[in-house]
Amino acid sequence: MNTIEVNNISKTFGSQTALDQVTFEVKPGEIFGLLGPNGAGKTTCIRIVLDIFKPDSGSVKIFGNGMSEGKKDQIGYLPEERGLYQDIKLEECLNYLASLKGLSSNESHKRINEYLVRFNLDEHKKKKVKELSKGMQQKAQLITTLVHDPKLIIIDEPFSALDPVNTQMVKDILREQRDLGKTIVMCTHQMQQVEELCDRLVLINQGKSVLYGTLSEVRKTYAGHAIHIRTEDQIPNSLPGMKEIKRLENHHLYQVDLDPEVSPQDFLKLLVAVNINIDQFEIASPTLDEIFIQVVTESGMKYE
Amino acid sequence: MNRTWLVIKHEYLKHVKKKRFILAILSLPFFILLMVAIGFLSVIFQYDNTPVGYIDRSGILENSIDYQAEAPIGFMKPIDFIRYTDESEAEFALNNNNIQAFYVIDENFMETREIKVIANEVPDSSINSEFYTFFKLNVLKDLPATISDRVMEGASFEIKSTAEQKSANEDNVLVFILPFLAGFLFIMAVNISAGYLLQAVVEEKENRTMEIMITSISPTQLMTAKVIGNLSVGLTQLVVWILFGIIGISSLFRLFPDLQSTKIDFSFLLLTIMVFIPAFVMIAAMMAALGATTTETREAQQIAGIFTIPMVLPYWFMQVLMEKPNSPLSIFFSIFPFTAPVSLPMRAAFSSIPAWQIIITITLLILFAIAALWFAGRAFRLGMLRYGKKLSLKEIFTQRP
Repeated sequence: MNTIEVNNISKTFGSQTALDQVTFEVKPGEIFGLLGPNGAGKTTCIRIVLDIFKPDSGSVKIFGNGMSEGKKDQIGYLPEERGLYQDIKLEECLNYLASLKGLSSNESHKRINEYLVRFNLDEHKKKKVKELSKGMQQKAQLITTLVHDPKLIIIDEPFSALDPVNTQMVKDILREQRDLGKTIVMCTHQMQQVEELCDRLVLINQGKSVLYGTLSEVRKTYAGHAIHIRTEDQIPNSLPGMKEIKRLENHHLYQVDLDPEVSPQDFLKLLVAVNINIDQFEIASPTLDEIFIQVVTESGMKYE
Repeated sequence: MNRTWLVIKHEYLKHVKKKRFILAILSLPFFILLMVAIGFLSVIFQYDNTPVGYIDRSGILENSIDYQAEAPIGFMKPIDFIRYTDESEAEFALNNNNIQAFYVIDENFMETREIKVIANEVPDSSINSEFYTFFKLNVLKDLPATISDRVMEGASFEIKSTAEQKSANEDNVLVFILPFLAGFLFIMAVNISAGYLLQAVVEEKENRTMEIMITSISPTQLMTAKVIGNLSVGLTQLVVWILFGIIGISSLFRLFPDLQSTKIDFSFLLLTIMVFIPAFVMIAAMMAALGATTTETREAQQIAGIFTIPMVLPYWFMQVLMEKPNSPLSIFFSIFPFTAPVSLPMRAAFSSIPAWQIIITITLLILFAIAALWFAGRAFRLGMLRYGKKLSLKEIFTQRP
């Protein structure tokens, strides 16, 4: 059974189409990346999954069927619009929100104290929330997301407002949660985090799903026919099968685009044959960032 | 249900535990108490209980009937009247401060109706009138007791509207005061509770906590809990004030025993409650809807003022409602849902309202209350995630949540 099944959902706000026939699945125990540029419809998508909005068409299943009040306790949500009650003490705020997730008073006090210590917020627990820094509030928000030990964690831009130390801590926590068997949906446009953490991903642009699959599948699909070569020798400007050559960051690293019918293997043989000393030879695999930009600009042009 | 209760408790305690709330709740009775105390003190300081003297040249006060003067406040010592035969004797007493003034009744009082007052400082008007009561009693002493008693007591004016059998008695002061007081309390209760409610809804948006809340409990639970929690805060405040009021009124009764004859009409109270409850729900729901459609507390409060105007409008037309309780304007005011809570009780005090009008008023109020709740529910679901963007009326009616 998939943790989340999103089936052809569409949603419009007035004349603006926020989502158009989006479909994806989230499998139990994975970290799933929901990606897209600003305004692509990621947050709308999550809100529909959480039953905050109703889709105009299509359906969503969570843990096998529709959303219910009981299931809300098994979901931890970190919204993009971070929100805590500003005018009460941090401890009081966290305990109140935990009690709404069904934790008993004793249990929530115990767990919240553990998290406060872990997140270095222990000395601030008597302060009002509005007196805390943005980063601290973000960590406090993460406590409310995790405190009731949810089976499904949905986090929207988890790393915004965090310094590198805290970013690392949050990453560690996400990995730890995955190792505990939790399913995590991470909504972001920070590609390097996705590359580090996610197993599978969907990329949404202008309300449409434009890319969907495992990280390696996606990479393979977008792996151009290019190689990187490091050599101190001069590469001739024209070789059979070589479409284009350009120098990368230093003088000894080159990127070569090959003709589609020439395999990297053949090209390596050719280089050896022309007596070039090769220090490094690799297939140029595009970064997710590059794929992201490529897909977004392509699809953008397509739909404009 | 359990979670609804948690939110109610949180919303309620959030306000009630605050020092500001306790100060606000105590400030009004304290202020009233202070005003009353100042009033009493000024009476006490002005009142001089030194006896007054009199010289009777008319012979009316020969073998005078004793009269116990009344002090302005129950516990104070009433003044005594001392008879002098000689003016120099009275003057001597005045100069020694044994008396504060003396009255000289003219020989031919029956013709001249002249009483001279001799004093170093002008005596309080209440002392003059007390002396005159004593004097009047003696003027009338030869008449039969039934006649003299009537004259002394004066008439009891009864106000009766021409068409109706309903009447208001001047002695029954509460009949006049109650509709005003009830209306006033209603407006207070509505403003206080609705203010809290408005704040509670807008605050949820300002804090951006709405998403967290509705992924924990349902929007209906949240809305219900907010309405109940915040109305309870307003009601707590009101109940405390009413308790202070009851203490105040009962102590007034003790000080002024005359008021005790007044009584409150039960059917009037029932009517008032029947009108107030749906009106309260209606206005509270509208405030909640307003909170859901606007984005800032300050902006919402300004708009909330608009709701108060129709409610206080009947006070401006009070005279019409009192003197012509069955004029078209009065009838309109008592039926129109926003003016009804204040107008209907006011009209009811001065006239018998036909049953059909009461039924229309209450039915209309209930319908409006239901519509307002429906509207608030939609506005809440649609508007809850609009940060910094207002929700238009059209959207509330047409858009799907």
